Amino acid sequence: MRSGSVGVGRSLAALAGMVLLGGILSVAARADDTVRIGAPLELSGRFVTYGAQTKRGIEMAVDTFGGSVNGKKIEVLFRDVQSNNQDAVTAFIDLASQQKIDFMIGPVASGIVAATVPAWRQSKPLWIVPGSSSTQLEDGMKGENLFFHTYPWAYNYHDGTAEALAQVVGAGKKVAIIYSDGGYGREQLPWAKEFYTKAGFNIVATELVREGAADLNPVLQRLRQLKPDVLVGIVQTIDGIQLAKQVQVAKLNIPFLVGTAYPQLAEWSGALGPEAADGWIGATTYLPGMDRPADPTHPKLFPAMHDWEAAFRARYNRDPEFLDVTSYTSTMLLLLAIDEAASTDKEKVAAKLASLDVKTMLGSSKFAPTPGGAMHQAFGQMVVFQRQGNKFVIAFPADAADGKLIPRK
Amino acid sequence: MSLILQCLLDSVLLGGLYSLMAVGLSLGFGITRIINFAYGEFIMLGAYGAFFCSTLMGIDPLLSLPLVAAGVALIAAIIFQLCLGRALRAAPINQILLLFGVGLVLQNVAAILWTGDARSVTTSYSLSGEQVGDITISDGRVVAFLLAVLLIAILLMWLHRTELGRATRAVAQNRQAAVLMGINVTFIYLLSFALNAALGAATGAISSFLLTITPFMGFHMLVKSFAIVVLGGLGSIAGTLAGAFVLAFAETVVAYYVPEGIGWAEGVAFVVLLLVLIVRPQGILGQSEGVA
Repeated sequence: MRSGSVGVGRSLAALAGMVLLGGILSVAARADDTVRIGAPLELSGRFVTYGAQTKRGIEMAVDTFGGSVNGKKIEVLFRDVQSNNQDAVTAFIDLASQQKIDFMIGPVASGIVAATVPAWRQSKPLWIVPGSSSTQLEDGMKGENLFFHTYPWAYNYHDGTAEALAQVVGAGKKVAIIYSDGGYGREQLPWAKEFYTKAGFNIVATELVREGAADLNPVLQRLRQLKPDVLVGIVQTIDGIQLAKQVQVAKLNIPFLVGTAYPQLAEWSGALGPEAADGWIGATTYLPGMDRPADPTHPKLFPAMHDWEAAFRARYNRDPEFLDVTSYTSTMLLLLAIDEAASTDKEKVAAKLASLDVKTMLGSSKFAPTPGGAMHQAFGQMVVFQRQGNKFVIAFPADAADGKLIPRK
Repeated sequence: MSLILQCLLDSVLLGGLYSLMAVGLSLGFGITRIINFAYGEFIMLGAYGAFFCSTLMGIDPLLSLPLVAAGVALIAAIIFQLCLGRALRAAPINQILLLFGVGLVLQNVAAILWTGDARSVTTSYSLSGEQVGDITISDGRVVAFLLAVLLIAILLMWLHRTELGRATRAVAQNRQAAVLMGINVTFIYLLSFALNAALGAATGAISSFLLTITPFMGFHMLVKSFAIVVLGGLGSIAGTLAGAFVLAFAETVVAYYVPEGIGWAEGVAFVVLLLVLIVRPQGILGQSEGVA
């Protein structure tokens, strides 16, 4: 009886060993014939819109590329970070350190990206961030050769806008700034103050608002007494909707209303209606209908903007937003780099990615160091636009301009 | 002077919205002694209901409100029958976790069905306002306030003037005595849970033209409602109304008169809550039992 139980125990141990070995071998085999990309994204929670856009862009890029690279199947492991710092760290560690994934895309919201930096440092995969304008991230990733940023930094929002406005309203005019209490608002405030001051404006108020505040009227009523010429709202999209609504109701008569990225979003204007959205000014790397030609070498991967937008609409039955384009482009660049490097070694892929120079829907893909010390930055050039009626008018830079900023009626 | 008047006006208008938002939670707790942690999601469902009635059928949120409230009440009744009814005798923590789970499911179903895109209903009154001297009166907020007053008045009349309302209060005051008097307590529980959801949905329908609608809008409103209910006194509707106006007044005054006040408003409001609870642990008009 006793020897029998020992025999059964040995058999079970052998079976367990075989199962374990089989599992290890299957993971090894899978790792060998697939290229795995980790995508920890905000797929729920308050930044779900950003995460959903990024996911769409990644999926479309993988499918457009053909689903495989260098004969290996492309597998994207999406993880929902729930718009939460702790969940983002857990997801990033799981993908990069536990599952040994060498290529990561996302997350995108500034605060969430900042939280994942220590997790990234544990194993340092090649990391593309198609979002986060935080210059703290730029500073924190100074000199890191495996970090690629494909989204403008905070200062990119304000330098062109301040200059474009100064050309229209002249120097010495009054600017009031409303900023949110999260990282996004606090991060951009010093840059906005610097660039508007440099452009000759007089900053008469900087008002803090809480993210998700239901009533911004107290701030707006205080601003009414200061009679600013320009109101700059440095808030996220949801707060941008509330701000624009209440500005409309309060009839503030401020000639120029400036947002960050949100005035271009269909989501923002759809929630407001055309009247409240009219006249708002924003800065972006992408506007629907922009005229950008296809890349001559890779026209299928980076088609002309109009063709890409048509393909996007056919696939998702909606208009693309800027993170759809940014994440598509970022993913496509990574796949192209893996293909051209003929390797999945992250150092070799990083070297190839850094040297790519293709014409994308967001402009040249050429990565370059930033003044803040980040090694690889692409797509930092922004256009300043204004919603005039049903169309976007580009007012800056001069070579892309098709109209001028006009005061709000 | 105009800023003081504006501050008072904003406080009153915000207080009306807070009252409606919290009164459903208060009613539900007063009767069932269960804090409905899915309440925020009923508000969210109401907001989406009003949004889709407006965009798909062109029905104004004020007109779709009864339909939306009835629809969400039906959903709540189904949830009660499937889940909560089976946990009525369970430990309070189990009931809280159950309803929290229900809330998460509703939240994520909404995110899957309708995406996380922010939406809002645009009506003729939602983006208009009247200017009286230096004072701005938001038409949308006035409409919301009047509607909140009307709905709360109907609720109070129902509680005090109808047989079913009196039965509901009887269950809240003494469950055992209500059973002995032949009242179907389980039905009253179901009714109060559905009514709680309907009031949440009504809040959502009103919020649909004032605020931004997302699948995740409910949690913040649940927290605020819970704070108001605790401030006013658990289970007391009169206390809830008082708590709503105290909180609205505290938040608005801080927002107007403290530098960077909107950022601090909510924090200060919760300090008020803390202070009230230290001085008067049962809340402003709190009672040990029953619905006032």
